[in-house]
Amino acid sequence: MTSPKCDLPQGTLDLLILKTVALGPVHGYAIAQRLQQISRDVVQVPGGSLYPALHRLENRKLLVAEWGQTETGRDAKFYRLTRRGRAHLEAGSASWQRLSETVGLILGMAEGGPR
Amino acid sequence: MMLPRWLRRDDREVNLDRELSFHIEEKVAELVRSGVSEEDARRRVRLEFGAAEQVKEECRDVRPAYWAETFLRDIRYAWRNLRRNPGFAAVAIATLALGIGGLTAMFSAFDTILIRPLPYADPNRLVMIWDDLSKSDDRTKSDPAPAEWLEWRRLNTVFTDIASTQPTEATLSGDAAPEQVPARKATGNLWSVLGVKPLIGRVFSEEEDRNGARVAVISYGLWQRRYGGSPDVLGRKIDVNDTPYEVIGVMPHEFYFLPARDIDLWMPASFPAWMRTAFGWHDEQVVARLKTGVTREQAEQSMVALSLQLTAKAFPRPHQTIVTSLREDIAGKTQTALVVLLAASAALLLIACVNLANLLMSRGLARSRELAVRVALGAGRGRLAAQFLTESLVLAGLGALAGLALAMPAMRFLSRLVPETMGPVRLTLDWRVLAFSAASAIAAALAFGLAPALRGSWTGLQHGLREGGRGAAGARSYWFQHSLIVIETALAVMLLTSGGLLLETFRHLQNTDLGVRREKLLTFEIPLFRYKEFHRRDAFLTAVLEKIRAIPGVINAGATSQLPLKPNDLSATFYWIAGQPHESERNQVALIRLVTRDYFPTIGARLREGRFFEESDRHSDAQVAIVNETFANRNFAGRSAIGAQFKFGDTGDKGYWYRIVGVVKKIHEVGMEEAARPAVYLLHGQGNKQLMIPPGGIAVRTAVEPASIVSAIRQAIWSIDKNQPMWRVQTLKDIFAHQLTTPTESTALMGAFALLALLLASIGLYGVLSYAVTQRTSEIGVRMALGATSREILLTFSKRGLVLTVAGLAIGLGLSIVTSRFLSALLYGFRPDLIPTITVVSLILLSVALLACLGPARRASRVDPVIALRSE
Repeated sequence: MTSPKCDLPQGTLDLLILKTVALGPVHGYAIAQRLQQISRDVVQVPGGSLYPALHRLENRKLLVAEWGQTETGRDAKFYRLTRRGRAHLEAGSASWQRLSETVGLILGMAEGGPR
Repeated sequence: MMLPRWLRRDDREVNLDRELSFHIEEKVAELVRSGVSEEDARRRVRLEFGAAEQVKEECRDVRPAYWAETFLRDIRYAWRNLRRNPGFAAVAIATLALGIGGLTAMFSAFDTILIRPLPYADPNRLVMIWDDLSKSDDRTKSDPAPAEWLEWRRLNTVFTDIASTQPTEATLSGDAAPEQVPARKATGNLWSVLGVKPLIGRVFSEEEDRNGARVAVISYGLWQRRYGGSPDVLGRKIDVNDTPYEVIGVMPHEFYFLPARDIDLWMPASFPAWMRTAFGWHDEQVVARLKTGVTREQAEQSMVALSLQLTAKAFPRPHQTIVTSLREDIAGKTQTALVVLLAASAALLLIACVNLANLLMSRGLARSRELAVRVALGAGRGRLAAQFLTESLVLAGLGALAGLALAMPAMRFLSRLVPETMGPVRLTLDWRVLAFSAASAIAAALAFGLAPALRGSWTGLQHGLREGGRGAAGARSYWFQHSLIVIETALAVMLLTSGGLLLETFRHLQNTDLGVRREKLLTFEIPLFRYKEFHRRDAFLTAVLEKIRAIPGVINAGATSQLPLKPNDLSATFYWIAGQPHESERNQVALIRLVTRDYFPTIGARLREGRFFEESDRHSDAQVAIVNETFANRNFAGRSAIGAQFKFGDTGDKGYWYRIVGVVKKIHEVGMEEAARPAVYLLHGQGNKQLMIPPGGIAVRTAVEPASIVSAIRQAIWSIDKNQPMWRVQTLKDIFAHQLTTPTESTALMGAFALLALLLASIGLYGVLSYAVTQRTSEIGVRMALGATSREILLTFSKRGLVLTVAGLAIGLGLSIVTSRFLSALLYGFRPDLIPTITVVSLILLSVALLACLGPARRASRVDPVIALRSE
């Protein structure tokens, strides 16, 4: 585990989960794995924070869950995005986009100094 | 017993388990695929995943209304815990049941008698107005005069209206067997002042009152009893004292009004002209309705001024008035008794709570292992405290249920506290009482659960998985527990002292010298309206008394215008002693009794000086009188009253001078709660032969059981006049016992509370000491190994218990001195000596405490050092 790890800013985990689930019904373990793979191990979500987050999103009706079977034939709880979840994801991504551009801009400006 | 389904684990919990274990299994499988041994993989996953219980708890925390779920789960847990410790549960629930049950029952009485609205319109604005004829500062309520009522009504500025009632006698005859019924005359505006309506028919008007209409309003009880509840009673002419009255209305079942709940007949007062101007005729009871925005105090101020002005102008004896709330007059002494008893029952519940707090505290320490495990599994301090509190709530809830079961029979006993003047009410378990009970259960749960909950959660965190319970927490918890013991002992001492004071007062009242020999004295009343003319009345009375004396078993018989122990007899007459300035008549009032010659010997009155009436007095023109000690002391302090003369007020030059021939030891003429008053006894048949109320009260001294000759007496009376009813047949003992109802009940209740408090306090002491011995077994072992004798160990532990007891005793006695002042209203003017009560209470407490200490202390002294040290 040599790759650098980042602390996720508040609220970002929800967004990442929503995005991951947006690709299709998926269970909690797979979400953790995908986040880790896609972020090239930068984002590591311990189960201790993943599951409370999933349950919170489910309670806010951004996700729905169903019990289904994995390819290996085991029972698992699959999460799926709801319409509200999708709307939330879009709004969230857009504002994240804006925020990160702005943050990048300001940081870039600071490096170059005033012209 | 199974828990209801909604209290059991639900599917969500199962699913949460499945989801998390799926995650863990997948992770382990993945690691195993990458070549890690399964054991290693599991360890790594556990480390990475964190404590499974904690993750679960966090998942649950995000559920909506999860607190409710937690609460239910805690209840389930508490339930299991209690079932696992049935002994503890039984003690705790029984303790709480006593506390909550007692308080609930007392509250129901308090609520019914003092809080619930009286059955009148806007009852809080109703007040009674009394004359204050006393000379000194101690205010004594006296009945006002009709003339005062008229003037007050005309001139007052604080009442919307004022009504008045006056005593009367009523014999119903004609339509059925002659019957004497409680009756009252009332001014025509009584109904509108009270704001009451008849059940059927109508009430009489002010015009009917003025015109002397012969109409009557009857009670629901009389309607049902004598007229079969038939509506055609309206318009019927009934014979009241041989005069036809028309029944115009029936009052509803719940109606009652002062001075007694059982008044059956209301008739117009129709004051004759002379009474409308007589300020000396004090037999009214006056009720008034306050104007909106006027307080009782303002009304009293205004009325005092008005009364002084009225009486100063027209009459030579200005006096003040007292304005009391109607509730106060109806509740009477009961009010104070209820307040005191409610406070006592609250104190008992408090003791129960303190006791339980202690018990839970000890248990909390004993449960430190369990707590430590729960902390290790991820339970936070808040969760632990909530769990503890839930356990307390479950206990309190069960205690409240058991308490209600206790309260119901208790309420039947307490209904005897409902005053005579209030009626017909029943103490019931309604929503108010239930709500109160629930509230007191929750308050109790917080009171006894909070400290152990906080301490328990703290202990849980501190101890970790450390072995044993002998850490620093020990000393601190002892300190806390010890203060709890001191508190509960102090409260118990307070209750015991109060109980002792009441008991002493009760005994004092029981032994009151009534001035009358109580044993085997039968009393009853015969209405004498048929014998208005003096000679006929005198002949009839003489004949009746002769016949009664002739009955085997009768020793003597006499008549009086008013039998002793008459509560609320506020009638009074002004008098004037010869040789004193005429102004001395101001504010000098005395009770007047008209008696036959044999009355004093019959009741067993005792002379202080002079003589009783003699047969020769009846034929003598010289008017004679006998006065009581109070009269003599007030007017002839330090010298003999014999030979002195007095006359009654309002008689002017016409009145007779009465010469005092005897002074009797005080006869308790008025109610037990009232102070003795000056009284004057005149011989029936002397002087003004039309004077005042006829002597219809008969006293019969018997050699046999009084009840056994009642029918013989009735036959004797009927042999002279077969239409003559006799009523209020009671022995003097019964009248006396009846008057002592409130002190008897309050003493019994206070005594019960005090004994329960003592029991709880000693259980508490025993519990804490036992626990300390258990906790310190190894320490005792060490000390014994170092040479301490078992005697020394015994002393150490007994001393500790006794020190606590003495501390509690000292504080409790301090409290008692404060609370005894509040009790004084219940002590009937009697000032019991605190010292003997305190001494007895201290002795009882110390011996009970000694017993409670001895058990644990002996156990400590028998510790075998070898075993004790090995148990370390």
